[in-house]
Amino acid sequence: MPLTLDEVRKIASLARLRLSPEEESLFAGQLGAIVDYIGQLAHYETIDPPPAAAPAPEAADIPQPSLPRELFLANAPSALDGLLLVPGVMGSGDA
Amino acid sequence: MPEPWELGAEEIAQRVAARELSAAEVVASALDRTARVEPLVAAYLAVYDEEARAAAAELDSRLAAGEPAGRLAGVPIVLKDNLSLAGKPLTCGSKILAGYVAPYTATAVERLLAEGAVVLGRANMDEFAMGSSTENSAYAKTRNPWDLARVPGGSSGGPAAAVAAGSAALGFGSDTGGSVRQPAALCGVVGVKPTWGRVSRYGLVAFASSTDQIGPVARGVRDAALALSVVAGPDPRDSTCAARPGEDYLAGIEEGVRGLRVGILREVDPGALAPAAQRNWSASLELLARAGAEPVEVSVPSLGAAIAVYYVIATSEASANLARFDGVRYGRRAEAESLLDLYLRSRSEGFGAEVKRRIMLGTFALSSGYYEAYYGRARGVLEGMRRQVEAAFQEVDLLVTPTAPGGAFALGEKVDDPLAMYLSDIFTTPASLLGLPAVAVPSGADDEGLPLSLQIMGRPFDEATVFRAARAFEREAGWRVAPAFRGAEAAPAPAG
Repeated sequence: MPLTLDEVRKIASLARLRLSPEEESLFAGQLGAIVDYIGQLAHYETIDPPPAAAPAPEAADIPQPSLPRELFLANAPSALDGLLLVPGVMGSGDA
Repeated sequence: MPEPWELGAEEIAQRVAARELSAAEVVASALDRTARVEPLVAAYLAVYDEEARAAAAELDSRLAAGEPAGRLAGVPIVLKDNLSLAGKPLTCGSKILAGYVAPYTATAVERLLAEGAVVLGRANMDEFAMGSSTENSAYAKTRNPWDLARVPGGSSGGPAAAVAAGSAALGFGSDTGGSVRQPAALCGVVGVKPTWGRVSRYGLVAFASSTDQIGPVARGVRDAALALSVVAGPDPRDSTCAARPGEDYLAGIEEGVRGLRVGILREVDPGALAPAAQRNWSASLELLARAGAEPVEVSVPSLGAAIAVYYVIATSEASANLARFDGVRYGRRAEAESLLDLYLRSRSEGFGAEVKRRIMLGTFALSSGYYEAYYGRARGVLEGMRRQVEAAFQEVDLLVTPTAPGGAFALGEKVDDPLAMYLSDIFTTPASLLGLPAVAVPSGADDEGLPLSLQIMGRPFDEATVFRAARAFEREAGWRVAPAFRGAEAAPAPAG
């Protein structure tokens, strides 16, 4: 069963995606079919998995020198004085 | 006398070490072959012609000066475009990473370079390794060297096609749900998905962290075993990499399968295979038995749930891992007036359709109100499957299945039907979800001459037994990697 357009929009907003109207209707159908397929999981045996935990680091946690900041900032779309530049969180005029 | 590009990795390294062949000759031959096959196959996103020649010449002078030769001396390799090589672009087949230059080199790649391998270039892939045909690349359509109208498989379609076409002796990709094994199968070469934790992932762009592994593609099992021997082993820079030391997988590889108990899963439905694949599957089992393996039927009742479990768990992890592509620190940034607008526009313009679909699916599976019904349920079914497979491994040493349900499909055939595309991973996802080592080994061809493949899975960290069985199978099967380039006006000469 296709997802509703409202459901698709809500998921897109959570996923920080802005979909075109064409994408919204395409994904409503495609995601609906995939979710229906996933519904078969109801027919299989389940066992509670062990609580999710990050695997314990097997290596000693020793501070190491890291790569130079400039190397990483070279990939930044916008940077100034060793910092990343972004538009204002509150909207235009704050950047 | 075969041309150097026709030689396998092991033979190249031996001959270069013995100074019978120079690294420069090998690399020149591989680049020449690449120039001939690349217009047909389009496996590469970039060929590093000058750097490869320079690296080979430097290696030759070091050998001339008496330095010891590495285990991959002079071996031309190709890297999937999600493996970092410092100073080189890295795009993951995505527009969102256009212009990104890797600031450091992946541990696995460092180890290859330290053993004398020469990087010929970076190879095409489905965007962020999401796909089974390499058609989701934002940059190129790679073609199957056996039939240019067909897909090479995916997501490591570039490395698999390059190795099959004779351009590189080894390819390296990442396998999250079958992304090394399935393209290896469709291109008629050997592909390896090591145990989760066997190979460091430092420098590999993450897709689904609970299953991602780096693995080699090669034209023979011995070369694949050699390649894994080089890259496997602990790495302080990746805390998910196991502390177990690396192994020499060539050591016992010729010991054969006599006495090994090989599990055949009752749940593999021959009716779900293409007719030729069905016949090939039966023949493969007979061949294993003829080589001395003892077939044992085992049951994993939850096997049929693998695709559903995989597409919940992998997309959930992807939705979190790909949150980092937001236009702030690297990659494509859209013009925007606010930070939120910048996220939305950069991501929407930068990601392709399949990546958006999977991020959406994972976001849905993790969202409030659906988490238990989807993510929670998938983890529960997976735990059930894990117990069943552990019980099976009490009875057997290995499990075998076909690698893919059939030979390579046509370009465009499944691109509009994501679910049909997902089902090509039916046999490869279980080993990914359970972290098991698995090797795809060519098992013959279908009626149209397209390669088919057998998958051999083992217990965690028992790659040695998997390679041993794959090698025995390869010897019996007598497969030759000699793609026909069907559809080309003038096909390049196959390997001799």
